[in-house]
Amino acid sequence: MNDTYAGRTITRDGQLLLEKAEKDRVETVWDRFENQLPQCGYCEMGLSCRICVMGPCRIDPFGEGPQKGVCGADADIIVARNLCRMIAAGAASHSDHGRDLIEVLDEVAKGKASGYRIRDAEKLKRVASEYGISSDGKDDLKIAEQLAYAMQEDFGTRKKALTLLRRAPARRRQVWDKFGIAPRGIDRETAEMMHRTHMGVDNNWQSLLLQALRNALSDGWGGSMIATELSDILFGTPKPAATAVNVGVLKKDQVNIIVHGHNPVVSEMVLLACRSEDLLQLATSKGAAGINLAGVCCTGNELLMRSGVAMAGNHLTTELVLTTGAVDMMIVDYQCIMPSLGTVAACYHTRMVSTSDKARFPGMEHREFHPDNAAEAARALVKEAIENFTNRGEVYIPVEPVNAVGGFSVETILGALGGTPQPLIDALKSGTIRGAVGIVGCNNPRIRQDFGHVTLAKRLIENDILVVDTGCAAVATAKAGFKAADAAQMAGPGLREICSALGIPPVLHMGSCVDNVRILVLASVLANALGTDISDLPIAGAAPEWYSEKAVAIGAYFVASGVYTVLGPMPPVTGSINVVKLLTEGLQDVVGATFSVEPDPEKAALAIRRHIEEKRQGLGLPAQKV
Amino acid sequence: MKKVIVHPERCVGCMQCMPACAAAHSRSRKLFAAILESPVPKPRIHVGVGLCHEGFPNRCRHCDPAPCLLACLPGAIFRDEELDTVLIDPDKCINCASCAMACPFGVIRYHEDCHAPPGKVVAVKCDNCFERQEKGLIPACVEVCKVNALTFEEPGAALKRKTDEVARSVSLGVSQAELPAGSPRFALLIGHKRKELHVGQP
Repeated sequence: MNDTYAGRTITRDGQLLLEKAEKDRVETVWDRFENQLPQCGYCEMGLSCRICVMGPCRIDPFGEGPQKGVCGADADIIVARNLCRMIAAGAASHSDHGRDLIEVLDEVAKGKASGYRIRDAEKLKRVASEYGISSDGKDDLKIAEQLAYAMQEDFGTRKKALTLLRRAPARRRQVWDKFGIAPRGIDRETAEMMHRTHMGVDNNWQSLLLQALRNALSDGWGGSMIATELSDILFGTPKPAATAVNVGVLKKDQVNIIVHGHNPVVSEMVLLACRSEDLLQLATSKGAAGINLAGVCCTGNELLMRSGVAMAGNHLTTELVLTTGAVDMMIVDYQCIMPSLGTVAACYHTRMVSTSDKARFPGMEHREFHPDNAAEAARALVKEAIENFTNRGEVYIPVEPVNAVGGFSVETILGALGGTPQPLIDALKSGTIRGAVGIVGCNNPRIRQDFGHVTLAKRLIENDILVVDTGCAAVATAKAGFKAADAAQMAGPGLREICSALGIPPVLHMGSCVDNVRILVLASVLANALGTDISDLPIAGAAPEWYSEKAVAIGAYFVASGVYTVLGPMPPVTGSINVVKLLTEGLQDVVGATFSVEPDPEKAALAIRRHIEEKRQGLGLPAQKV
Repeated sequence: MKKVIVHPERCVGCMQCMPACAAAHSRSRKLFAAILESPVPKPRIHVGVGLCHEGFPNRCRHCDPAPCLLACLPGAIFRDEELDTVLIDPDKCINCASCAMACPFGVIRYHEDCHAPPGKVVAVKCDNCFERQEKGLIPACVEVCKVNALTFEEPGAALKRKTDEVARSVSLGVSQAELPAGSPRFALLIGHKRKELHVGQP
């Protein structure tokens, strides 16, 4: 194996397909990363400002060149404003995804969204009651209509605080109130963030960053949380189900359709179509043994969580999966879809289809999905994918898939524990489990693919720390076998005992990237049961291979919710030592948690273990020296 | 005589010197207009990638004796003594690449250029922006470099400054000596990238 391929990814399928890509002259994300080197140091440090047209400006980090932008903003202000805008973009992305689900719920309630229905009426009633909507004497559709309306109000300007903040422990809400960072409206916080970073508005780097935390919280306890809850109501609350992962999930003798993106609104309809009898018969008539739907990225995670749909790969695999020549159609919605995919697909027979009115891509056909036409649009696309099966050229599926179990919603985890968090709390108290860590986030060509996720998860479970993960991190650890039924063997003795008793793997798949809110809810359940704050729990977050603005928003709402969070790649902040110190030290006195940056997962694991033991000590639980 | 001096430890890899150089050698001398010209102007300074993905602005050193000049059979390459600059006459150039083979720094490229006969591919390299200097301007790459990785100064003054820096480091002792790059902020970034690059490599 060529060393270059092994240096780019730890995955066997990735290495073999990189070789195939080179043979097929397909340019990949890694090639483009190398073409970009060296990357601009001003931008990497957050010291370039493109906010207004008196600029663009940059600050000389060596202190001899310009120290202020044309407007007079210094390094602290410029770095803070840039970070704030990243968080605003991340929060906007998750929250707009949430808004799309409200629209579907509303149209279901009004009978305009054929194909969609309420699949978890019990959860509908539960969430509605949190919004003060009584279910007495109302049918589900009426409740849905009122819930959709109430959630739309969370997006607006009329509320003083987001409804779902009530899920957070009382002490956490007091912290937010004390520093004025309890989010009021989901869109309002993003709009205010953009306003405050306009030239000549907020020029105090501390108050800017506090608003960034409020904006991030409007994502975590607002937009993303609504997205997750409504996805459960519309498509079912996840339950553990067997699945398979890596490029080996593609089937040589079946029609392969891949869904890519984030919102289950599209992929669920494609799944429905793939399981319809007449289309299966059509597939057989074309010589295919069936229709094989698989996912990449987070819409794949949505299907995996709820229906056990197989997962072909995470972010850096999205181009490589096309080089198998086995994908008859890739259907995308939005977020993290590289605009290069159409070019890659052009080398094979793969048909590429974009579906969202807000996301278009070069080299893709655009077939718009709306709640009222989605079921039919999905059927039409699946039919065309089947017809494309006969156009296949050479197919190369180089590996066998790895088995995994997914589907660990908070409801499922508590259910497995007998309906109460008490067994988990007992295990934490006794030290059988030292703590819990959420590993989240993306892939990034700066980090050898999956090395950060897999190494960190391995070291944590070996040391009796339960890992919950989402997004591309969850796919990485699944590919590495940590979610197989017998994966408890890889855990330390305490965690192994608990996992074996419950029949669960030591690394629990909690969903897509909006589903990070499941981790917030679980942390709140634990904190409430212990009568304490999230920041006192022996827990941590990590994003070992993050790349996106959404990941910055997630990291910021984790920290603002009291969760110590370790990042792998460096955010563009080193241009201001003040901002670096606030994020890595100063926030401790504000929200009781900080960021840390450590690209080496071995060292990140040590830092997290130390943090967990300190928190155990703080709670008066038996602690170890790390 | 003032010269362009490269301070590699300060290069942040923004590559702004490259488009500035290309625009300075275009017909219009303006970046926005230059990208619409034919032939599209190309830079004479090239930012390379170091081991930690840091940048290095690579440009003609105007060597003396200059290996490219000695290798140029048609005599297209000559030294302008007054400017202390090695120049290429595009009319005499025969595009044989001998100069590139001789150049130890790889800074000679071959393409069409607005200063050459139309349609003719010629050897192109840094000319120390002599046209700008005649107008009292400093070389374009130096003007655009805000971190002083490229400076235009008397070599003696630059060497004295460096000598003084070393002297200060010695008197401060190793523990308190300033970081070579002189910026804790840049050092933090480069330190992180160095770690990132080696994480998990086979």
